[in-house]
Amino acid sequence: MACLHDHSCEDHDCSADWSLYKHIDISKVTALNEAVPGSVKSVFKAWEQRLSSSEEHLESNEGDPELLVFIPFTSDVKIKSISIVGGAGGTSPSKMRAFINRDGIDFSDAQSMQAIQEWDLAENLQGVLEYQTRYSKFQSVASITLHFPENFGGDTTQIQYIGLKGEATQLRRDVVATIVYELMPNPSDHKAQAEGGGGLSHVE
Amino acid sequence: MVLEATMICIDNSEWMRNGDYAPSRFQAQADAVNLICGAKTQSNPENTVGILTMAGKGVRVLVTPTSDLGKILACMHGLEIGGEMNLASGIQVAQLALKHRQNKKQQQRIIVFCGSPIKHEKKLIEMIGRKLKKNSVALDIINFGEQDDGKIEKLEALLAAVNNNDTSHIVHVPTGSSALSDVLINTPIFTGDGEGGSGFAAAAAAAAAGGLSGFDFGVDPNLDPELALALRVSMEEERARQEAAAKKATEEAAKQEKGEGQPSGTQDAMMTERANVATSEVDNKDDENALLQQALAMSMDDPDSGHETRDTDMSDAAADDPELALALQLSVQDGTKDSSSQSDLSKLLADQSFVSSILASLPGVDPNDPSVKNLLDSIQSQTESQQKNEEKEPKEDEK
Repeated sequence: MACLHDHSCEDHDCSADWSLYKHIDISKVTALNEAVPGSVKSVFKAWEQRLSSSEEHLESNEGDPELLVFIPFTSDVKIKSISIVGGAGGTSPSKMRAFINRDGIDFSDAQSMQAIQEWDLAENLQGVLEYQTRYSKFQSVASITLHFPENFGGDTTQIQYIGLKGEATQLRRDVVATIVYELMPNPSDHKAQAEGGGGLSHVE
Repeated sequence: MVLEATMICIDNSEWMRNGDYAPSRFQAQADAVNLICGAKTQSNPENTVGILTMAGKGVRVLVTPTSDLGKILACMHGLEIGGEMNLASGIQVAQLALKHRQNKKQQQRIIVFCGSPIKHEKKLIEMIGRKLKKNSVALDIINFGEQDDGKIEKLEALLAAVNNNDTSHIVHVPTGSSALSDVLINTPIFTGDGEGGSGFAAAAAAAAAGGLSGFDFGVDPNLDPELALALRVSMEEERARQEAAAKKATEEAAKQEKGEGQPSGTQDAMMTERANVATSEVDNKDDENALLQQALAMSMDDPDSGHETRDTDMSDAAADDPELALALQLSVQDGTKDSSSQSDLSKLLADQSFVSSILASLPGVDPNDPSVKNLLDSIQSQTESQQKNEEKEPKEDEK
């Protein structure tokens, strides 16, 4: 298994780098134009299993190579690079466009919107290629949407593995959960200047 | 309990004035729409439903997806009929309305009422279907009203293009006595992909269908289990009794060697058979009981007794079955001992094919049974002797 790093793999455990898949909220991962509903969840796995083709892979519908994958995370992450393993025979995707922190994107939105970054992909059947991101733009990512508009000429587009490298922060982007609304101020809550002057402020 | 946003596309074209669905096609559609909205909002409180019209001056969205049932029902008032339906635009506008739904977690669904001819090409329709499938929008098609060539073909092609894992359906509603809503209640459009039927659908079925569909005795087993059980048990008892009576009747028919015994035995068996048919229908239990009693009494007693009751009760059933009508007619005439009818009767009996066809239609009688064959032969000889007797009788009367 060749890495792009110039060291041997025994020293450095590559799989630890590609561990962002653990922070993906798998139940909420969706894809548009997939032939088998729910098959998109099988492409997020550990680095060592990226080439195992025994499990299902993500495949688009017949005659339509576009795919749209929505990936939410359980906490905000920073993404350094992305790796894609496609299928053989021209079914690998040839272009990838990413959108950050937007949900509910469909194909017409994806085609008209400006992506945060675009890549031209190569056929990466061995899973050795990774595509760097403009790291400054991928600093606090709660969800990423990947759009694959074309492939290398196959009838369908197949994706076996999507790997994400980066760091997970522990921050969450949730809506504020506990808010207390006050209809009228409660003086006992405001102890700061209650002792002096009976509410009048002094300018000294 | 799927979280869903639904857009209902209503056909308010000129074809909807037609009255082949009571009271008019448009009104039947409106009732169905009301039922669907209720079912959707009841199955999940966060579901939203929107309505748009496809004909008139153009495609117009009346209500964007909302969970407020009152708003939806209010907008159904004051809708005008006119123009031509534009199916392609209607579906595309519905898709756009769903795209801008407030809660992006909802699944998208479009329900289309298609009651007038489709003027688009099949290819365009299929392309629209593929686009819906690509954006994972489910589609339910309700085909009613005008049926021109190619409409069903186009709609089936649309369904094939959209269908992803059986989430989309098509329903064909023919013109008939039952209302559009009643037909729809039993379809997956209401029951939601085989989830087992929402409570709303079941209750609506009980109320609207009046016990004809689904529930055997006009009583919902959920509402009154004891009554339903009592009715079922008594029905089974009656059925068992009738079977015993029918068996007895056929045995009597086989035993009796007289010619008159045969047709009246036939008649008895047919009457019990008719009584069986009557009981399998869901009518008032009291009438069934009375008829059953009469059928049993007649099979046990001498066939000639109880003529008046026969006349009054059998006239209804006679209309259904011409052979039965004939047999009944013969038996009535037989009872009065009219000489002319006697000869008719004997002629009919002599007609081997007629008798064998009657025998074949009886439940428990096998025409190849040797005892039955013997009986038929004896009838043949009987008719000849009867004819001789008739010739003698008029001579005696004249005297």
